[in-house]
Amino acid sequence: MGSRYLARKIFQAILTIAFIVLLNFVLFRMMPGSPDRVLARNLPEAARAELRSRWGLDKPLIPDQLVAYVAATARGDLGASFKFNGRTVVEVLSERIWPTIILFGLGELIAIVVGLSLGAYSGWRRGGPIDYVGNGFSLVLYSMPYFVIGMILLLVFATGLGWFPTSGMFSLGHRFDSFPEQVADFAWHLFLPLMTVAIGLIGQYSILMRSSIIDTLTEDYVTTARAKGLTDGRILRSHALPNARLPAVTLIAINLGYVIAGAITVEVVFNWPGIGTLTVIALNARDYPMLQGIFLLLSISVVLANFAADLVYGYLDPRVRT
Amino acid sequence: MTSAPLSAGDLRAERIRLRLRGWVDFARRFARRRDGVAGVVVLLFFTLLALFPTVLVGPLQTATTAPGLPLEPPSLEFPLGTDDLGRSMLNLVVHGARISMVIGLLATVVTVLLGAVIGIASGYLGGRTDTVLMRITDFFLVLPTFVLALILAPIILDLIGSEGVIFGIPSTLVVIVVVIGVTSWASTARIIRSQALSVKERMFVARARVIGGSGAHIMWRHIMPNVLNLIVANTVLVFAGAILTETTLSFIGLGDPLLPSWGVILNSAQTSGAPGLGAWWYFVPPSVCIVLVVLAFTLVGGALDDVLNPRMRARR
Repeated sequence: MGSRYLARKIFQAILTIAFIVLLNFVLFRMMPGSPDRVLARNLPEAARAELRSRWGLDKPLIPDQLVAYVAATARGDLGASFKFNGRTVVEVLSERIWPTIILFGLGELIAIVVGLSLGAYSGWRRGGPIDYVGNGFSLVLYSMPYFVIGMILLLVFATGLGWFPTSGMFSLGHRFDSFPEQVADFAWHLFLPLMTVAIGLIGQYSILMRSSIIDTLTEDYVTTARAKGLTDGRILRSHALPNARLPAVTLIAINLGYVIAGAITVEVVFNWPGIGTLTVIALNARDYPMLQGIFLLLSISVVLANFAADLVYGYLDPRVRT
Repeated sequence: MTSAPLSAGDLRAERIRLRLRGWVDFARRFARRRDGVAGVVVLLFFTLLALFPTVLVGPLQTATTAPGLPLEPPSLEFPLGTDDLGRSMLNLVVHGARISMVIGLLATVVTVLLGAVIGIASGYLGGRTDTVLMRITDFFLVLPTFVLALILAPIILDLIGSEGVIFGIPSTLVVIVVVIGVTSWASTARIIRSQALSVKERMFVARARVIGGSGAHIMWRHIMPNVLNLIVANTVLVFAGAILTETTLSFIGLGDPLLPSWGVILNSAQTSGAPGLGAWWYFVPPSVCIVLVVLAFTLVGGALDDVLNPRMRARR
């Protein structure tokens, strides 16, 4: 990969992250009055003044407070949560991030494999029965908020049929005798939320891949391949797919921001103890340091994912490696 | 060939005739898209619900005027059952149509206005303005804007208070509208800028500049009408997105319980544990409405895009 391409992408990612940190600072300084009004609501003025000076809130916003904020953020110090008494934001976040990563990592993986295959096939056999049914389903799924899919799955498979638990990540009050038993319980709880995420994403990815394949089919190199007498399967595998993959990579990365919105709601439906339920708890408690931390974490993850997508793109498409 | 000089009246008649022919031509081409027509029918139905909810199902029921028992399944008296407060779901869902559609409409207006102004200005003015505006746009495109909306909404609500009224609209609603608008204009701006860039190079823009038209005049009278097709098709798609965003924001608790949009209803269904209690009638009706409306907008948007932007048509 060309080093100039790489350098440009790294520079862009760093610039974006710097902007995010700055935005985070500005946003939370917009709050009514200053943070001490929320935190020290019932204290006398003298005590508040003392707190203000201890927290550095009596110093000018720029540069003193900004510098202090950026330095603290760079050290990984995001402050203490209001809601989770005394615990730091980073502590709570690092505990909550794993359930989310497992749920969404696996969900994305399933959706990418199934959605892209389905989309590629429907696009290739455009107008065929699979395309007709698949595209219809994808369109409906595309219009359906994730949590609606979740509520329906929950109603049918947990409440109705009783096959799966309705909430949580482990059976409560249960002692596990062995590690495999614990993993099995985890998988049992994971299944429905995972299916929700996967189903929600499959619609998007299949629509995306379908139109991408249809676009490549009108290209000259596909006509050429056909003129050479290659079989249909061969044309799809070696000519159409590698090119149709390119926009898919970019769009999957761009989509990630929306996926996060879905993530939050799916976790709420199944009471999955990840970042999503944490967001709702923090919202209801107006736990601003926590919200700030969540915003930072999620936006930086998306920027990094976009950066990764750029690298994958550069790897897949030799034309941009300059 | 001799022809009598055209009077001003003739010219006006000719212009109206041409415009009329344009509309008829457009309607004929749109009617050929069956998915688009189906979408329009669905949207007309929901517009009707949104316009006359009180005529259709009576005034919005509240906790004090709830006629039924909590979580009654569908019956003759309550065709869609009741919620956990004993309100008729039919009543709630029909009134929800008005609230969801109004929020969606206002948020779309804000989004498209911001996107169009930034896109046209960026494309026409070019140079440093373009660079700065597009950097900001790209930043918003990368950012998970939903998360930004999520933290912006409570901050602004705390800032202005949730009881106030702005221009006769409850402030909670205004905040949701503004937050959706501010966080979703970027892709509109990108699309419109690229079109404005090509329109700018056309001869009539150069002529307008030569006879001394100001930048604002050229953007409004020459660039805007020529990107209008894109704006219209984009608006319909933005509407679908705005309704989805509103629903999701309300679902996680940022809606106003006194203004039950479909998302707010789904939020109360979730917090009252309806899916776990098997009370499907509590969340299926609003969900079906959301899916139908979003799907209809997506279909109409796709059809409009095909009909209005013929250059895309050749590709598909």
